Parts: sequence; structure tokens; C-alpha cells
Amino acid sequence: MTAVLEARDVHVSRGHNAVLRGVTLSLAAGEAVALVGPNAAGKSTLLRTLAGLLRAAQGVVLLDARPLTTWPRDALARAMALVTAEDEGPATLAVEDRVALGRYPHRGPFRPLLDEDRAAVQLALERTGIAPLARRWLGTLSAGERQLATLARGLAQEPRVLLLDEPAAHLDIGHQLRLFRVLDEVRVTGVAVLAVVHDLQRAAAWAQRMVLLADGRVATDGPPDAVLASEECARAFDVAIRGHAVPGSPHPLYNFEERP
Amino acid sequence: MTEAGRRRLVLLSLLAALPLAMAAAVALGSVRLPLRSVVASLVSAAGLPLLGPPLDAPGAAILWSVRLPRVLLAALVGGGLAVVGSTLQSVFRNPMADSGLLGVGAGAAFGAVLAVRLGWAAHVFLALPLAAFAGAMAAIVLVYVLAHAGGRPSLQGLLLTGIAVSALASAGTSVLLVATEEFRVKTVLFWLAGGLEGRSWTHVQLAALFILAGVALLALLSRPLDVLSLGQDEAASLGLAVHATRLTVFALSALVAGAATAVAGSVPFVGLMAPHALRPRVGPLARHLIPASFLGGAVLVVLADLAARTFSDRLDLPLGSFTAFVGAPYFLLALRASEGRT
Repeated sequence: MTAVLEARDVHVSRGHNAVLRGVTLSLAAGEAVALVGPNAAGKSTLLRTLAGLLRAAQGVVLLDARPLTTWPRDALARAMALVTAEDEGPATLAVEDRVALGRYPHRGPFRPLLDEDRAAVQLALERTGIAPLARRWLGTLSAGERQLATLARGLAQEPRVLLLDEPAAHLDIGHQLRLFRVLDEVRVTGVAVLAVVHDLQRAAAWAQRMVLLADGRVATDGPPDAVLASEECARAFDVAIRGHAVPGSPHPLYNFEERP
Repeated sequence: MTEAGRRRLVLLSLLAALPLAMAAAVALGSVRLPLRSVVASLVSAAGLPLLGPPLDAPGAAILWSVRLPRVLLAALVGGGLAVVGSTLQSVFRNPMADSGLLGVGAGAAFGAVLAVRLGWAAHVFLALPLAAFAGAMAAIVLVYVLAHAGGRPSLQGLLLTGIAVSALASAGTSVLLVATEEFRVKTVLFWLAGGLEGRSWTHVQLAALFILAGVALLALLSRPLDVLSLGQDEAASLGLAVHATRLTVFALSALVAGAATAVAGSVPFVGLMAPHALRPRVGPLARHLIPASFLGGAVLVVLADLAARTFSDRLDLPLGSFTAFVGAPYFLLALRASEGRT
């Protein structure tokens, strides 16, 4: 598999704090990867660095084997979308107009939106299940609905790499299942999906690969069930993890306990 | 009615309200000008055939050298301040943002008082507005340079720098005022209180140049402004050059607000009221909000100026005090309403 997105020995500091200390990671087209790790492991920083929002002090991030720093802004934004849990859109902005701003990298400041843009916006609204809310103001939505609107903006961008920071944070279980189904639908069209997921059970059920980040480095990287069974994972979270086989399910049911 | 239909209705109403408000403001005052004659004079000045008896000579003098420049200036100042308010509110993602945050008002006041203290204002034509404009520009440059001293600032950093520079400029203004001869203080007090008395066509030209150009350029930046309103990270991930765009928007805002303040002094609350009232009606997208705010702000200040000068026979209220008298209660009520909802 050839990598679409690749980080090589990436170091990033925020202030005087070294947050990432040599992260090496690659992401292939059509791959679903869960990024997990304890609080302050550097997951959000890694995602923002991969998205080109933070500059690596050392090391390099490559998209299509070209350093991010050599990509023009608009081309980069057409290739890669970032969806975070922080939603700061204006309260009186309609959902549909917010999603349509995802077409900015395609049309720039002046060119009018075309039919293909409107089709991309409509598809994104339908996939995320918020088409009935299209004309509602962001300020009148629940946190979960706003988060789906942010995801729809990312889908409307039609990227080849989709980076998500805790996309399920405010979603109820039904919306969570829908979210991960949508991510799968996008992935099978060849999009590389990397998501920070806090719920390890959910991450194991969805992802094809799991990357465990601890102390600013990749501790382990592999099939989710193998990562969860590893000593590195137990140490990173400081918990005991036990998997129980469930008849008829491909994934074990995990049980987490504090370590004495 | 559909959302787009309602938006069109609001824009058309504002478009109709502006000439009506301007006509009323031209006709009414200490001397009443018959509206039909005013229209006839304007039409004949445009080289069209007479529509009836034009104004007599004193009436024409009032129309052309007093009322018309004053009303046009009110419209330009109101429109400009409202557009700057709506723009900065979307960049700062805060409905209380205004040109004051960039230090424009305090800088302009310092420039104006300096011109008066040094005696320029009394001897050099347009010295006061030009010095006020220079003060506003100096303040925004200072805010920008100080805020960037430690690398690229956050919005919070910019905001705090703006407040600090404003406080500094106000302190300087106070010192200058104390050191200024009493008979000169009165001139500058009139300017500080905000007003449009005795403004000439030169003031109109000066303001029109900067305000119309600045507003047009801000309107061209509508889509980048919308992207910017989503916050720094999302805007950057959508391929927007966040810092360059923000800098351009601040520079244009300072130009417009600086020109408005230079010719009219401080006219508070216009930049807050007009966008606040219009945002729920036309939506927050800049391509709708900027034209609506321009028209709304223009109507507001034309009417406020009319009310301020016809309020009492004995005393012309300063325009700036009048907008504050109306704006402050309006804003408190609006604030209470929005607090009550959440």
C-alpha cells in the first residue's frame, strides 16, 4: 500500500513543551485508522500538524510524497479536511450555508458555486442525516447536531484525506453508529480516514488499524485488538484491559479496570 | 414567506427608507424647506427640465451648503460605521465588537485634540479631520505592531492590545486637554461629542472617498469573511490565509472607521445597533449583511442627526450623545432578551 499521508520523525513544541517527540506514521488510501491515547498524549497536536495547521520543528509531513509546506493552501484544503469538536460558527448561520463553506477551497473567494458544489453540499447533508435541519440556525441546534454539521462541512470539501478530532464526542449512541457508518461509506470510496477516538471499544469495532500515541510518540501501531491487548496500551492508560469473546461478534467485549 | 423572500423584503425596505429619511432630513430643520421645491431644485441641478418652482435663493443656499452635505455625510458615516461593526463582529465572533476595539476612536480623538492644542485646527483648513484620521491610523498600526511583537497574536491578544492602546491614547488626550487654552477646548469638545454641524462638501468628498472604497473592498471579501467567522483553525483548514485576510480586514475597517470618525467625531453604538438588528433578519453571511448594514446604519444616523438638531429649539444635541442615549438602552434590552433565552 502506498501512503497518501505520511509523518516522518515529527517533533512539535507548544511554548516550551515538547508535545510530539518523533512521530512516524503513514496513512493509505481507503484506510480507516483510529488514533487513541491518554489525555495530553499529543493526539490533537498530531492531527493539527498532519493538517498543516502546526509546523513541525523537526521532521516532515508528506502528502502524496510532497512536503505539506510545498503545497498551495487551496490545493491542500481540497486534498485534506479537518473536522474538530470545537464548533465556533455564528449562531444565526444556517446549517446549509455552513456546510457550503466547505466548498471554499474549490471555488475560492470570488467564483460562484456551481451545480456540482450544491450537489456535494446536498450529499453531505443527507449522509450525515441533517438534511431536515438545512435551514435551521446553528445556535438552535444541540451540540451533537452542530457536530454533525461540522462533519458535513468536511464531507462537502470532498477530500482524499479526512482527519477527525473526537467526532463522536457529543453524539448519542444512534448518532455515533451513524457517524462511523458514514466514515466507512467515505472510506470505501478511497478516502483515507484518521480519527481520534476516546471510546476504545467503539474504536476497535470501527477501525482497521489502531495507532496508540503516548508521551508524544507512537507506542504501538497495528490491528485494534492486538493494540488493546498490548502491554504498551495498558501502561499508557494505566489500566488493566481484558477482552471477552462474544459469540457471533468479530470483536471481543473489553473490560477496563484501574491497576492497583 | 421564504427566507430569501424575507431577506429581499428587508433589503428593499431599507433601500426605500434611505431616500425617504434623507428627504425628510433635507426638508426639516430650523428653516423648513418645501419638499416639492427641494425635489425641483435637485432635478434642475441634474440638468433635467424643471418640475415646478425651485427654491428661492436663501432656501437654495440652505439646501446646497448646509443640509445636503450634512445629510450625505450622515448617511456615509452611519453606513460606514455599521459595515465596520458587522465585519469586526464576524472576525472577532463577538456581537459586541466595534471599531473601538482597534483603538480607532481613541486614536482619532488624540489626533484631533493634538491639532487643536497646536493651533493647527484654527488656521489650517481640514486640519482637525486630517489629524484625527492620522491619529486613528497611528493607533491601529501601534495595536498591530505591539500585538505582533511576540509572534502572531491570538484574537484575545489583539483585543487586549487594542484596549491598552485605547487607554493610552485617552490618557494622552486628557493630558493635552488639560494643557489646552480654555477657548480652544470648546472646539474640540464639540468634535469629541460627535456631530455634523457646519461640514462642507470637502468633508463629504473626503469621507466618501475612504468610506465607499473601504466598504466596497470589504464587500468583495464577503466569502473570506464568512470563512473567517468559523474560527481560526477551521478557516485555515479550508485554505484561507487567516492572518493576511485578518490584517486586510482590519486595515480596511480602520480606514472606514477612521474616515467616519474624522469627519463626525465619536458616533457610538451605530456599529453595534444596525448589525445586531439586521443579523437575525438577513442572516450572518457577509454578502447579505454588509449591504443591509450599510443601508441600516445610514438610515439610523440620518434620522438620529435629524432628531438631534430638531429635538429642541434652543439647543442642538450632539449627534454622538443622541446615538448613545438611544443605543445604550437598546443594547441593554437586547442583551437582556438574549440572556433570557439561554
